[in-house]
Amino acid sequence: MNRIKTTYVGCSTPKVDALDKVLGRAVYAGDINFPGMLYGRVRRADIPHGFIHEIDVRTAEAMEGVVCVLTAKDVPGNNRFGIAFPDQWALAEEKILSVGDAVAIVAAETDEIAKDAIHAIRIKYRELPPLTDLQEAMADGAPQLHVNKIGSYKKKSGGHHYPLGDGGPQHDQKKRKSEFLHNTKGNVFLHTKVRKGDIEKGFAQAEVVVENTYKTQVVDHVYMETESGVGKMDEHGNLVLWNACQYPFRDRSQIASVLGLPQNKVRVIQATTGGAFGGKEDINVEIYIALLSKATGRPVRMVWDREESLAYSTKKHAIEIWTRWGATREGKLCCMEGKVYGDTGAYAGLGIFVVKKCGIHLAGPYHIPNIRVDAFSVYTNNVMASAMRGFGVTQAAVAHEGQMDELAKQLGIHPLTFRLMNALDVGLSTETGHIMTEDVGIKPTLEKIKEVILRDGSLATYREGLM
Amino acid sequence: MKKRGIGIGSMYYGLGYGYSRPDIASATIELCEDGSVIVRTGTVDFGQGSDTLFCQIVAEELGVTPDNIQIVTPDTATTPDAGPTSASRVAYVGGNAVLNATLALKRTLNDVAESILGEKKLIFLNREVRAETSGKCISFTDLAKACHLRGVQIVETGWFNNTTDDVDPHTAQGDAYATYCWATQLAEVEVDTETGKVEVLRVVAAHDVGRALNPSMVEAQIEGGVVMGMGYALTEEIKQEKGYRGEISLGEYMIPTSLDVPSIESCIVEVPVPTGPYGAKGVGEPALIPTAPAILNAICDAIGIRITELPGNQKNLHRLIQEKEKKTMGSEN
Repeated sequence: MNRIKTTYVGCSTPKVDALDKVLGRAVYAGDINFPGMLYGRVRRADIPHGFIHEIDVRTAEAMEGVVCVLTAKDVPGNNRFGIAFPDQWALAEEKILSVGDAVAIVAAETDEIAKDAIHAIRIKYRELPPLTDLQEAMADGAPQLHVNKIGSYKKKSGGHHYPLGDGGPQHDQKKRKSEFLHNTKGNVFLHTKVRKGDIEKGFAQAEVVVENTYKTQVVDHVYMETESGVGKMDEHGNLVLWNACQYPFRDRSQIASVLGLPQNKVRVIQATTGGAFGGKEDINVEIYIALLSKATGRPVRMVWDREESLAYSTKKHAIEIWTRWGATREGKLCCMEGKVYGDTGAYAGLGIFVVKKCGIHLAGPYHIPNIRVDAFSVYTNNVMASAMRGFGVTQAAVAHEGQMDELAKQLGIHPLTFRLMNALDVGLSTETGHIMTEDVGIKPTLEKIKEVILRDGSLATYREGLM
Repeated sequence: MKKRGIGIGSMYYGLGYGYSRPDIASATIELCEDGSVIVRTGTVDFGQGSDTLFCQIVAEELGVTPDNIQIVTPDTATTPDAGPTSASRVAYVGGNAVLNATLALKRTLNDVAESILGEKKLIFLNREVRAETSGKCISFTDLAKACHLRGVQIVETGWFNNTTDDVDPHTAQGDAYATYCWATQLAEVEVDTETGKVEVLRVVAAHDVGRALNPSMVEAQIEGGVVMGMGYALTEEIKQEKGYRGEISLGEYMIPTSLDVPSIESCIVEVPVPTGPYGAKGVGEPALIPTAPAILNAICDAIGIRITELPGNQKNLHRLIQEKEKKTMGSEN
């Protein structure tokens, strides 16, 4: 591709938002004030798994300054929502699947009163043993955390959910069913199979084999600005909401469904947002603010504390990857087998896509002719995992790069040389059989690092065997 | 004892949603009578810099300055849907939508300028439109005014559909993504074998971004990603016990501080993708992905221990070092 000569593109022009941010002029959702504005807080479940026996909101409702307390019975529209499919409750109906599930919400004249009020709400539970281990959750006969099948979710769905089987003209609904929600086995709601070449033949050719299990942990996004938003009803009966977000249109569709309003009566406006990294893709404050604004007719603001954000926002998936790689003595990768288990916690969020992306990136930027990978997304009673920067590939890279260095060591080839020998190039294919064309760029990045190693005296110890 | 090690990590990342997930963006552009320009698009800029990129793209095509362009904040009532800011897709998908809207407006401007100047082959540069051969020109402001007086269409919509074909559901084989981002990073670490503490001394990050639309913003993405990747490799973890998480604060959840940030050398590599705006791919997520693998490989290079369970924090690494020492002593006996 010819490089086009440009004037502004390719130049480091200053960021258009920089000055407002450094001068403190940018308006974040937590800075927005309206006359008569109330403060919202969430009363969360204290247990990871169980049934709600009783919710007593009387003391909270009677507190001076408390304007309203809402529970599931007060939700005007569909009480279910979720990005991929609506498996989350706006307000818990009878079952708790994770510590922090929203049971009640409060709007009060001050944030302090709202905080006191949520503590005054009494919840009685009938506890169930939590399912927190991936293998236990996947076992035949494990308690099903979600009794609804995809079919019934779809019927109830009011929103703009990423469709499972009808996302585009290319979809074949029947075929898709084989991939999503294998209800026959535990709590697995996605099983992606990658089958490339002939795995048996591949391992028959392999002269060196490396097998490892990699376990990655749950982490948080820790954006500078925690989850926040402000909402109010306008003079036309529309809900207007300002929030820290990544996609106002999907927030809109999820809010509208819960409020029982058409989507054109819900207006979502992005306030200046202080980072997101995937953590502001799922609904956080929006539905609570919308419900409280609609119920009180007054503006409502909700800003999560840092502790609340760390404990209850969506997280990066803990993924367990077992993988076995084979190469010839000469250093050519010939096969890769893997099993990927993603703990998405109590609700799917974007978990189906994250774990799938991990599975289909497990081979890394290398050409491997024979591949078999199975990736599973699993429900547990752990914290809900969804999107975070890297989206499954961060976890895959921990595994594939560990394997590459271990293989290189066994083969006695320099790790960088070994990568160059197997890097994808024009005409070679990825794990999904995608044949590369002119835009494949892995070798130039390896060459660049090689250049630095050869140039820089302090990296001399890393030169041995580098070709 | 303090031991140094060097390691590398590579990655590829399918840009956008891939395998038939809907992946669109739209934008409208409006030319005001005074020649200033309004762009409305639902693309969220949460700090990564898309508003700046869009100003650069419009300025580039119309030959005006970036400060001549106003990007309207995403609002479901006033801006068109541009999909989520995720999947490192914004420069590519959102950028193409803005570019398409701009090119549509430019065609109208070009027609009007041709009729005014009586010339073909026009160049949009320095706030004027100039005929390449004769040098005759009209200022951008006068051209905008002429468009308004003639009643030509000065609002245009750009759409970009990045929805790919699906992969085979039984084998996941197929062209899963429109394009891919590529990267290799090198990390140099120092491991204290007494305490298990790891210090990252240096990271060199080579990223193929297709075309760096704004090099300093690409570097900023890489630097932020590297630091986030350090936390992922070495310190960060949300602990859970039977489904309970307890009280968590930034006192216990350790993210790297500015004092932990090593020297980061960003190397921008440009292998353009013909379908990207000016050849651009993405960098948002790739920035972070190779860091943890490079650090883990560097630790292994330093002390011969392969960390397979994250995080490789001081406590975990200290335990692994002790286990290895016991094993070595055992075999010596």
